[in-house]
Amino acid sequence: MKVAVIIRQVPDVVEELVIAEDGRSLSEDDVMYITNELDDHALEQALILKGRHGAHVAAYGIGGSEARDALATSVAKGADEAVYVPLEFKDRGDNHKLAMHLAAPLRDGGFDLILSGMQAVDELDGGLGGILASRLSIPYVGGLLGVDMATGAGKVTVKKAFAGGRIGIMDVASPAVLGIQSSEQPPRYVPVNKVMQAKKTLQVKEIRTSVPDVVGLCITQLQKPETGAGAKMLEGDEDNVASSIANLLKERGLL
Amino acid sequence: MSPDTIVVIAEHLKGELSDITLEMLACGRELANASGSELICMVLTDDPLPFKALPFASDKTIIVKNPVLGTFNPEAYCKVLSHMLREMSPRIALMGSTSVGMDLAGMLSVTLGATVVGNCTRIQIEGRKLLVTSKLYGGKLTARSEVDQGMVLCLLMTGSYSKEGGMKNEISQIDIRDSPLSLDGLRTQFRELVEPEEGDVDLTKVPVLVGAGRGVQGADNVRVLEELAGLLGGAVCATRPVVDQGWLPRTRQVGRSGVIVKPRLYLAFGISGAPEHVEGMKDSEFIVAVNTDSGAPIFEVAHYGSTLDLQDLAPVLAEKIKELKGGK
Repeated sequence: MKVAVIIRQVPDVVEELVIAEDGRSLSEDDVMYITNELDDHALEQALILKGRHGAHVAAYGIGGSEARDALATSVAKGADEAVYVPLEFKDRGDNHKLAMHLAAPLRDGGFDLILSGMQAVDELDGGLGGILASRLSIPYVGGLLGVDMATGAGKVTVKKAFAGGRIGIMDVASPAVLGIQSSEQPPRYVPVNKVMQAKKTLQVKEIRTSVPDVVGLCITQLQKPETGAGAKMLEGDEDNVASSIANLLKERGLL
Repeated sequence: MSPDTIVVIAEHLKGELSDITLEMLACGRELANASGSELICMVLTDDPLPFKALPFASDKTIIVKNPVLGTFNPEAYCKVLSHMLREMSPRIALMGSTSVGMDLAGMLSVTLGATVVGNCTRIQIEGRKLLVTSKLYGGKLTARSEVDQGMVLCLLMTGSYSKEGGMKNEISQIDIRDSPLSLDGLRTQFRELVEPEEGDVDLTKVPVLVGAGRGVQGADNVRVLEELAGLLGGAVCATRPVVDQGWLPRTRQVGRSGVIVKPRLYLAFGISGAPEHVEGMKDSEFIVAVNTDSGAPIFEVAHYGSTLDLQDLAPVLAEKIKELKGGK
């Protein structure tokens, strides 16, 4: 079984997000990148399949130079192949464009499964998985909590999350694109020295394709949510704040 | 059909309409009224019975039936919707920003050549222009976007419109049809729907919930929060990343793919306030949030907040609560 995993670099939302002068994008110099959390889960799920069934895992790192570091981490964790797909700053978060870059190499790669996170924090234009699947004319199912080989060749069984904690069990014929919400186990940790070691011997195949400039979704303005409507902030040290909260609870009959 | 049609793709599970459907109908009604468009609700199902006598706010409800459409199958839905939406050519198709709508949007945008706008909280029409407000970057920023031509697929976030607006006093015109195309030979087969395991606590019935987010950083801190919850006669619940880490069982997950809760008190510790969690707890009566990031979106829905480190604050808070309870 051959599995491809899409690993996108996205702005780290724990850091401050600085809006650029154009008022509609992030300031490129201030963005701190991180691997899209759910893509990390997709990688873990692929590595679980490798552990169980000996799958060959190819990691596709998307974004700027940070993507190369993510590829080193992926290989240190157990990926067998690293492919770098550079994406210009202005195109990041544009899943339609990304799918155009990825469609041909993924088709040619002869993968049974293509895994990605079901969503990324920087996207608004529909999930990457569905777009890719449609371009490749293969099925897509997202929101997955687990993937395993089904009984019967050429099929996988997936667990899809539905509202209210329900889980739908489906069989999907491969090749297919799968959108991961959570891997069956938490993404594995890999020590820094192992990543550094992987970096030294890392062989990265780079794919550069040119895709037409499609006019997709046009963001006209980015802004921080309006302040004032939110919480009243409690100031002071632990003692002051804890007293304030305890008193608020008492006033409301919650103690 | 009029190019100004607005279509709502209904979501349902086990014969029950999901709340998001009514919210989408409320949003669609507002847009239809503002633009003089026709509002159509589309229900894909194996059994029209539970849906044919509901007082939807739509002008017309089209029920498409086929045995395969009983439970959501992304391939089957995509096939039927690609065909029907291409024929109807609506201006806007509303879907939920849910595990159903998010599966469909990407696929349909390619098959229909439509623009997708995700995470929508507000949609307006100005002349030919569609103005959409969405949450981006985990809810940390708000994005406004414009689409002035073509079909637009909007994914509406739960809680953005009131579900009351999705109903009216009469039953709308109903049109029941068979699937316009064969659904044999699909590569995706739905096998079964598994109900959630019963947890030790019914989170929807507990008066006080202490929510643990990624900021708790480990199972040890979850125990501190458990003590706090115990003092308040409540229980600990969690965001998805905390459950993913195995610090709490999945039965304690609150949010889009967990439980929707409305306790009297929700104490949020180390929770950033990603939209998928906020959907599940924002209607709590009283919310106090603790997060070191002053820009965390949780502070938008909280009534009170603190940016102190939860590891410092939680034990002191437990002591203060003990003192106050002892002094009753």
